[in-house]
Amino acid sequence: MDFFSIGLTLACISAVGGIFWRVRGWRTRGSAVAKPGSGGPRQGTFRAACRGLADLVFLRRTLRQGFLRWSGHMLLVLGFLPLLILHAMDGVVTRPLVAGYEPTLDPWQFLRNLFGLISVFGLILLFWNRCKKLKKFSVPQDWALLAVVFGLLVSGFFLESFKIMSAGDFTRMTDDYFVEEEPGELISLKAYWARENGVRFREFMPTAPEMMELGAELHEDHCAGCHAPTSSAFVSRSMTALVPAAWHIADQGRDLFWYAHVGLAFLALGLLPWGKFFHPVATGANLLARGGRVNSRADSPPLIRGLGLDACTRCGQCSLHCSVAPIHRVMGNADILPMDKLSDLRRYLGGRLSPARTGSLTEGSHICTECLRCTEVCSAGIDLQDLWMASKKALAEAGRAGVDGEIRKRTAGEWSRELGSRDLGRIGGTGAGLADRAESFWGCVQCTTCTGVCPVVAVSEDPSRDLDLAPQQIMNLLRMGLKAQTLGARMVWSCTTCYKCQEHCPQGVPVADILYELRQLGAEILRKKEGRS
Amino acid sequence: MKYAYFPGCKIAHHLPIHGQSVEAVCAHLGLELAKPEFSCCGYPVRHESRDASVYSALRNLALAENLGLDLMTPCKCCFGNLQQARHQTNQDEKLKYRMKKMLGEDGLPFPDKVRVRHFLQVLDDLPGGVASVVSQPLKGLQIACHYGCHALRPENITHFDDPLAPTIFERLVAATGATPLPWDLRLECCGYPLRGRDENIADLLVAKKMAGAKSSGADLLATACTYCQLQFGSENQKRPQTIPAVLYSRILGLALGLSPDVLGIQPGDVLARFVV
Repeated sequence: MDFFSIGLTLACISAVGGIFWRVRGWRTRGSAVAKPGSGGPRQGTFRAACRGLADLVFLRRTLRQGFLRWSGHMLLVLGFLPLLILHAMDGVVTRPLVAGYEPTLDPWQFLRNLFGLISVFGLILLFWNRCKKLKKFSVPQDWALLAVVFGLLVSGFFLESFKIMSAGDFTRMTDDYFVEEEPGELISLKAYWARENGVRFREFMPTAPEMMELGAELHEDHCAGCHAPTSSAFVSRSMTALVPAAWHIADQGRDLFWYAHVGLAFLALGLLPWGKFFHPVATGANLLARGGRVNSRADSPPLIRGLGLDACTRCGQCSLHCSVAPIHRVMGNADILPMDKLSDLRRYLGGRLSPARTGSLTEGSHICTECLRCTEVCSAGIDLQDLWMASKKALAEAGRAGVDGEIRKRTAGEWSRELGSRDLGRIGGTGAGLADRAESFWGCVQCTTCTGVCPVVAVSEDPSRDLDLAPQQIMNLLRMGLKAQTLGARMVWSCTTCYKCQEHCPQGVPVADILYELRQLGAEILRKKEGRS
Repeated sequence: MKYAYFPGCKIAHHLPIHGQSVEAVCAHLGLELAKPEFSCCGYPVRHESRDASVYSALRNLALAENLGLDLMTPCKCCFGNLQQARHQTNQDEKLKYRMKKMLGEDGLPFPDKVRVRHFLQVLDDLPGGVASVVSQPLKGLQIACHYGCHALRPENITHFDDPLAPTIFERLVAATGATPLPWDLRLECCGYPLRGRDENIADLLVAKKMAGAKSSGADLLATACTYCQLQFGSENQKRPQTIPAVLYSRILGLALGLSPDVLGIQPGDVLARFVV
């Protein structure tokens, strides 16, 4: 077993096993999001398939977000796919299909350089786009994917470049395919190849015209059948100029870059099912499955949800356009933004999310306003809206119903015992501190108007059972500095924010604003408790 | 007139007909709408963080101010929170300093000129009044108006209408040729703010409210807020015997002679008999 077969075997095991594992995850994670309901309206399958195909082939959704990223992507795909099929898989594609195929003949040699150059150019555009617009959202794997593909392409060019220069390769070929019939033939052929094809020999090469002529003849007879002029490998040939003439490192360079190129190809193949490396497969499948829809199909089937969870390309558009991005800016929880929320949701559904991070996910999930914008801009066509709505339910069913859910897990008395001994301070030092200021309650005469007009009190059969405290009692406790006694009261958390109490208070006590403040304080206490903020 | 149009988050997925009918009415009345990429108004997050809520609201106001336009929203909760945010920053120098700093980092001005208008206020201010452009008066239609808390109260912050005896909604309903009916609970809460927080009380509030509207004898309950309509609409779906809740933009659209397709009016709807 040599490097090639071991590498190829390992890469294939990783790729096939990993893809199996990923596809299996679509169903398990998709079912874990939530039970599907009746399902949304279905589209005509043929038209949907056409639209999905158009999205995939022309990257139409990517185009909507700007020409730079689209052209980078398009160039990379147009360059890389032919390289993958015609060059990397030439043993199973090009050679059996094209009679007389040799990688060193044109058009193959020329096309390899052309496609490689197109890919590199596309990759540079993508790199630039990420630096310019997406730097703050990027994680190591985003850069890793760019780096591996870039390394693969550039090492290919260097490999070819050193092969062109390699005297060792030349000698290996002439040993196998050339028999000198008269003395001087080999040196003429060498001289011809040194001048025309850029081979670098250690010894001095003659340049006499008659030798060149002889060399050209011999080349035609013995070499040209399998070798186009290396000048058609226009990138690699030009790159030979990078190596100073005095350096005879072609053979070592060729070996080094062969390992680099082949090794990176195996690495890319092996990494295919892992993380973002999988997006060419999952995103393509998702675009087809979505059939061109930009709105949300409520209650997607589990398999589609699972596929959607996997299809993110981390392009960052959702987070750039997110309606609650300003809230993320203030609160700083990465799970408020769709891109990070999606990857944490995947981990959560796979049972791999830490409790603290699950708290962040829950908060992000509840702050999302379900505005559909991320779904509309998603270049991978993921039905994020459906995932957010379904996962909010799933989290609540798992006992993670956000701040309200956490508060309601304990009684007002339990909260008051836990918080009673603590200095609760003002609302994180940033609030208006209405609840802490004696002036807020200066005018309160306990007239119970606030309680009398409260619609929540009115619909409750037994307010002291359902609500713990009435609004005017909360005001009274706060006046006495007993904030901890009010924080867990159901009245605070079941306030419907209608502002009737505040509007009707004859003494101008900002009752509803104070209840808001208490909820903000409660949310902050929970954040600290869970080790966030 | 031109406004920066602030639809709010819930319209796109949860109530597209609201946006669609408001935009159609505006187009018909010659009200131009600019659509910058607004963010959340900050209302839903106000329970969790004052700074996040205020900053989110001010950022939208700053975007409108940048366009030199007043902001118009068809949602009472968005309206209320946008007004709240500005009031709070004016009350609290430290908050104002923090907000100015963040907006400055975004390259946005501190919004002190832009006015926040609710869709109903914009209609009420139309020169000549809405009645003058109504082409298909909705004669015989009896309507119970639902005001929506966050526009109405606290009045010293929202400046919407008299918080104890408002008239704007009835005025605009009368302008369509329909008859607004008085009823006891018109200023009460729909219960939506407790959805997902206290489902039990949210259910009790909406049931009480809709029973009240029905007993007024009205044909329908008119709303002018995305959240209120979502609350009543889901109750209509769960319990078909409840009084149908209809967005004012759809009612007005019909009186203006707009196409029933644009207004989402289907055969069997309470408004269907007025389709010409």
